[in-house]
Amino acid sequence: MIKMSNLKRFFIYLVLVIACMISVFPFLWMIVSSTNKSVDVTKGSLLPGIFFMQNLHHLLISSDLGTALFNSAKVSIITTVLAMLVASLAGYGFEIYKSKAKDLVFNFLLLSMMIPFAALMVPLFRMFASVSQTVPFMGIDTLSAVILPTITTAFLIFYFRQSTKMFPKDILEAGRMDGLSELGVFFRIYVPTMKTTYAAGAIITFMSSWNSYLWPLVVLQSPEKQTLPLLISNLGSSYSPDYGVIMTAIVIATLPAALIFFIMQKHFVAGMLGSVK
Amino acid sequence: MIPAKAVQTAQAVKIGRRLRLKNAYIGWSFIAVATIMICLFYFYPMIQAFLLSLQSGTGVNLHFIGFSNYLRLFHDPVFLTTVKNTVTYLMIQVPIMIILAMFLSVLLNNKALKLKGLFRTAIFLPCVTSLVAYSVIFKYLFAQDGIMNRMLMKLSFISQPIPWLTDPFWAKIAIIAAITWRWTGYNMIFFLSALQNIDESIYEAARIDGASSVQQFFKITIPLLKPIILFTTITSTIGTLQLFDEVMNITKGGPGNATMTISQYIYNLSFKYTPDFGYAATVSYAIVVLIIFFSIIQFRVAGDKNE
Amino acid sequence: MKKLLALLFASVLVLAACSSGGSTKQTASDSKDVNEITIWAWDPNFNIKALNIAKEVYKKEDPHLKVKVVEMAQADIVQKLNTTLSSGTTKGLPNIVLIEDYRAQSFLKAYPDMFKEVTGSFKADDFAKYKVEAGTYNGKNYGVPFDTGVAGLYVRTDYLQKAGLSVKDLQHIDWNQYIEIGKKVKAATGKDMLSQDPKDLGLIRMMIQSAGSWYTKKDGTTPDIANNTALKEAFKTYKALMDAKIVKPVSDWSQFVAGFNTGDVASAPTGNWITPSIKAEASQSGKWAVVPLPKLSGVPNSVNASNLGGSSWYVLNIPGKEKAVDFLAKTFGSDVDFYQSLVKEIGAIGTYKPAAQSDAYKAADPFFGGQKVISDFASWTNKIPQVNYGLNTYAIEDILTVSAQNYLKGKDLDQVLKDAQKQAEEQIK
Repeated sequence: MIKMSNLKRFFIYLVLVIACMISVFPFLWMIVSSTNKSVDVTKGSLLPGIFFMQNLHHLLISSDLGTALFNSAKVSIITTVLAMLVASLAGYGFEIYKSKAKDLVFNFLLLSMMIPFAALMVPLFRMFASVSQTVPFMGIDTLSAVILPTITTAFLIFYFRQSTKMFPKDILEAGRMDGLSELGVFFRIYVPTMKTTYAAGAIITFMSSWNSYLWPLVVLQSPEKQTLPLLISNLGSSYSPDYGVIMTAIVIATLPAALIFFIMQKHFVAGMLGSVK
Repeated sequence: MIPAKAVQTAQAVKIGRRLRLKNAYIGWSFIAVATIMICLFYFYPMIQAFLLSLQSGTGVNLHFIGFSNYLRLFHDPVFLTTVKNTVTYLMIQVPIMIILAMFLSVLLNNKALKLKGLFRTAIFLPCVTSLVAYSVIFKYLFAQDGIMNRMLMKLSFISQPIPWLTDPFWAKIAIIAAITWRWTGYNMIFFLSALQNIDESIYEAARIDGASSVQQFFKITIPLLKPIILFTTITSTIGTLQLFDEVMNITKGGPGNATMTISQYIYNLSFKYTPDFGYAATVSYAIVVLIIFFSIIQFRVAGDKNE
Repeated sequence: MKKLLALLFASVLVLAACSSGGSTKQTASDSKDVNEITIWAWDPNFNIKALNIAKEVYKKEDPHLKVKVVEMAQADIVQKLNTTLSSGTTKGLPNIVLIEDYRAQSFLKAYPDMFKEVTGSFKADDFAKYKVEAGTYNGKNYGVPFDTGVAGLYVRTDYLQKAGLSVKDLQHIDWNQYIEIGKKVKAATGKDMLSQDPKDLGLIRMMIQSAGSWYTKKDGTTPDIANNTALKEAFKTYKALMDAKIVKPVSDWSQFVAGFNTGDVASAPTGNWITPSIKAEASQSGKWAVVPLPKLSGVPNSVNASNLGGSSWYVLNIPGKEKAVDFLAKTFGSDVDFYQSLVKEIGAIGTYKPAAQSDAYKAADPFFGGQKVISDFASWTNKIPQVNYGLNTYAIEDILTVSAQNYLKGKDLDQVLKDAQKQAEEQIK
């Protein structure tokens, strides 16, 4: 066991406690504000109030919260599942079946990380608008249009490739000996072993999908397709917005992401660990 | 036993050879979907954007003008301001965040530390917030009579409220603080993961040689973390050069373009003003060039030290 | 391996299809079926409520028409219109859309033929002239006028009293007098006179429109900055306000609202649509009054009336446009009773002159100490000078916010405006 001098220990705890306070304080304020009236929120009040139920009631009658929650969940879950599948297949493929040509392709794909989304927005919209007539379920104003461009990211492929580097290759060999097909090896051996890697990847993907704003905003039109961030943005656009209600909506929008992180955080750290070895 | 093993090896060699033949085919199909998707949703639109960048006009009244949009970049004061701002964020925010993330991860990696999980969760928590939530919160924190100013005044650090979001200098500081708050925990997780892979015996040996913790940090931890430093620096650089959400939601680029980033300028050109999609596409290529430029520099710097 | 690929694509497609289940209604605006029209607008407490009232009213005309009201943030509507229209498609667009007057010309020019002309569907002479002008392009009417952005000076009478002043001292003043009053109020109460967001030049916009001037010349495209006397005076006034230390700086809308709700500022020079926000703080009832907006001193044609914001309805050139025009014409275009309901139920003031004679407009408001606020606003509306907002209000304003910063820091005003003029000319083609 390493011994720390008392002074040093005190210093370490002090720094960490301060860091935690800075990190957590805005959350506390957000929760406190959801219990206050609009006027008190704008005053920056730090004391909890008694208006949470009233805010929630206002929120429920003034906007279609249920639909937005459902849409956000649908988009995030489908995106996450597909993203995990596509990216892990690719990361595995690039590492296990390594070749010069594939490395070239890999580097080429990494270039896509450098493209700012603001640049893609208009051309992407045109693409989806042009398929709207022929394949209506993939055109603009559909949730598939929200999902499709966000499934594959170079970052995730890179992440899975890095994690695969540490994967004990002889297990794969053993699987092949047992007569498993290449795809069988992937699904029966690789996927179960890499659970933590998937967990960490899933958390990151879910959160960015859950919080994404700009692309859904561009591609969705009907209110029954609206996702949560769009709903919050609508609430704030009023001449006289009710900030208590907005804070309540923000709390509701933040909770699922926070909850998923809390539940999966052990795997999350373990998965990250695998990718940086 | 021995013959059995030999048979196995022979079999493995045979399988291996067959595998190599099949490899090319199978391997490509594993990466096919991802490659197609990225080409379809990143590179194809980028080609479209390039064609747009050769045109000019408002809305649908576009006409071909060749490369004059690219020349316009060099004497567009707003564009030059946004480049200056973005590079300022990059030079100040990325180093602060990376050092802070590394520092916190080293503290958290201490084996004797209690409540490790709690600290880690708390510091990572900002990453789960949506940009809408976090921008609203920061606007209030940094308001003229907001919580930040009230706190600083109570502690007598300042006698007059700091005009956080209404003064060009302080607004930049506020944006930097907001990004650092949101992303330090995220980067810290990468460092923490890497630290847990470092063999404790290396430190043990150093301690026996009488190295102080500061020496250990600079002589062992930093060199071993170099790949992660490079990784986090490059991803943060890319993130900062594409910075949009934070600035758009906290200051809208103001006061007077003082915090505006390149991405936000693209947005304004496309959607806020009478739309000029051609010029907007041109500006977006400027970001790509900048990102490639900085990534090469960072690889170079890291590479030199490796030699 | 083909199986693998096929499997993957199939699963993507199936999942994608699932995710868009129930999307059968999406082609509503594409189909020839004109029993439903869609309308996009922002602000649930104002525009959306107004639409719902209009919907009820129109039921008498055509009980079979289904009106679908979609609520969206203004920035989101602007972005969607631009993305969709620039792609050369009208898919997913509504029949009617609300557009802010400052942006209307830019849309009408950027996307010709995409908007339906509405000339003749309402009597243009019955509306405030400045308002009709905002939605007119190439001599044709495209916008059906909605709310007026008529501005007024909201003041706290109790603070004035403490400074030994009364509402009478604020009638028809100019901005220099306003600053002097502000100093007195600050000395007596310690409160700032107004709050101001340095990146929102609404104040300057109100000042120059009060003198019939704008960022661009009458043609709507030539920047009019360097030699614009009204703009120059407005800048000087702006600096004088700042130098007098009677301004509380804020950085966004909520803080602007908080400024008067918390009682931190003694006045708010702004559009009439702020009334609900002012009334939100019920404890301040009876302590407010509205007086005419100050005018620019030294600019002879400046009047005590101006405008801030306000928007109008536009019909898109897609199937259902005839129904959409009829809907607007029979509600916003001609119905006095409808305008009375707007005032009574949401406090929205239109620019329809005949409505100003109605009872609802003449009601006294106890929150404002019994002042007939609506009727006052309606009478100021008719005095608002008419200007052409042109194509580039926001592009030029972004240039001018930088100029304002430089000027406040001590740069020479003529030079600052000259630079802005040059930059605007280069940027706007």
